Amino acid sequence: MRQVSIVFGRGRSGQGVAEPANGMASPVSQIWPIGGGKGGTGKSFFTGSLGFLLARQGYRTLLIDVDLGAANLHTIVGIPNPPMSIADFINRRVGTLEETVVPTALPNLFLISGAMNNLDMANLGHEQKMKVLRGVARLSYDYILLDLGAGTAFNTIDFFLISQTGVFITTPEPTSIENIYRLIRSVYFRKIHHVLKTYDFKALADEAERRNPKAIVSNPDLLLRVMGELDPEKGSLLQQELGSLHFRLVLNQLRKQDNHSIGALICKIISKHLALRMEHIGNVGFDDRVHSAICKRTPFIELYPYTQTALDLRECCRSLLPANKEAERRLHGGAD
Amino acid sequence: MKPFNEQNYYEVLEIPPDAGPLDIRRAYKANFSLYQDDSLASYSFFSEEERTEILSCIEQAYLTLINPEARKAYDQSLILAGLLDAAGTFRDRTKEPIAIYEFQAAGRNGSSLAKRSAELKQRIAQTPAIRRLLSQDTLAGSDLREIRTVLEVPLEEIAERTNIRIDTLQAIEAEQVECFPPLVYLKGFLRAYSRCLELDAGPVMDGYLRKLGFL
Repeated sequence: MRQVSIVFGRGRSGQGVAEPANGMASPVSQIWPIGGGKGGTGKSFFTGSLGFLLARQGYRTLLIDVDLGAANLHTIVGIPNPPMSIADFINRRVGTLEETVVPTALPNLFLISGAMNNLDMANLGHEQKMKVLRGVARLSYDYILLDLGAGTAFNTIDFFLISQTGVFITTPEPTSIENIYRLIRSVYFRKIHHVLKTYDFKALADEAERRNPKAIVSNPDLLLRVMGELDPEKGSLLQQELGSLHFRLVLNQLRKQDNHSIGALICKIISKHLALRMEHIGNVGFDDRVHSAICKRTPFIELYPYTQTALDLRECCRSLLPANKEAERRLHGGAD
Repeated sequence: MKPFNEQNYYEVLEIPPDAGPLDIRRAYKANFSLYQDDSLASYSFFSEEERTEILSCIEQAYLTLINPEARKAYDQSLILAGLLDAAGTFRDRTKEPIAIYEFQAAGRNGSSLAKRSAELKQRIAQTPAIRRLLSQDTLAGSDLREIRTVLEVPLEEIAERTNIRIDTLQAIEAEQVECFPPLVYLKGFLRAYSRCLELDAGPVMDGYLRKLGFL
């Protein structure tokens, strides 16, 4: 299983590795941040469904709502008024993040809600953010799913970069695809920023901009090449760090008339032009009943288990699980 | 992963170096539509200049690879630069002739054919049995077969060289009149048959037709 590491300048990287979960094989929590740039693409719905599926398979799963300021994961998993939330940890009402965990109706499924009454809680300060990130790394579950907010604010991106295996969600609409590209580029820049110190990054960005004034924003690999020329050692470190990222893409709300290969095409563009590893996990079909399931505040998978959408969700969950990946790799003779 | 503008044409179109024209066309179509203005998958990813540049790169890759001569020259330049293995390049297999019979592989070119005809002539001169058969007034189908067997010329070779169907040749040797072509064709076939065995066509034709009562 992949080691969770936090690569922040001032973060205590490497620390806070979780203790082995009771009776479970994995000693380290798998953290999957789930983000998507645009609002309404189904991040919370997907997080909730995925958590539900994992918990039903016997994995101790924790959902964390880090969409502070617009939290509603608690509603999706059926806890309208969570007794505790992440704010209690940030405001030091409780000592550890573990104490804010709320159990749900489903055994093995837990929630840290982002619902809070403070008005300014949406804008975490740097120290508060680092506190949450360290707290997350100390948690001991089989799977930790982070439901990220829309947009490309630093807070969102830093939560995304908590793990190397982020999941992007988009719908097959230009607006949503535009935002996903925006988010991926922001993540890419932020990662470079994290690896290099701030002043290095500034020097690098200035140099790259001097060489090619127009291409800097759209062509992040230019930064890499400039870095390789300026300082080969740091350049290769950067290559290595960026190469360790392994993102996944889920295409949500796919209608029948939509192009079903669009997810694969997006991944192709990302890996061809940004040199990032991006894997298309699957398509999730559009279903009007998702709306009614959310209105009933019941998990969609439970309410409509025999629909195409439920099938798609199970398929996505299956291909996200690393254990299955290993088995598949063995089956196909070592193909990645 | 190499930057886009440093990729070779095969990498641009994402095809193996030995891809055929059909694959090239398909890859070009897929990539062309992916980088179009109205493509959903690449929406907002590229600026207008980047898009134009990539499209012209794809266009150039396609136009080079789809043209056999240009492709050969391009492959050559890649091989010289050490980027491509000569064994991995495309070979047009459809243009090569298909050998029907094994003996063809031995000698298809003119010099060996001439050698063979000289050999046949010599054998005819040296074999009294053939001369005896040819000196007869009439020539039966079985006589023709005997000559051919002595000269060790398979019927398949005659069929291959003359484009006469093999069952027609068999009918001539077996004197199956009901399977014969019209007389004018029969004459031509006998002439071609004799030429294959390096026999004098006139006496063979006359002898055979006289035997069957056509003369």
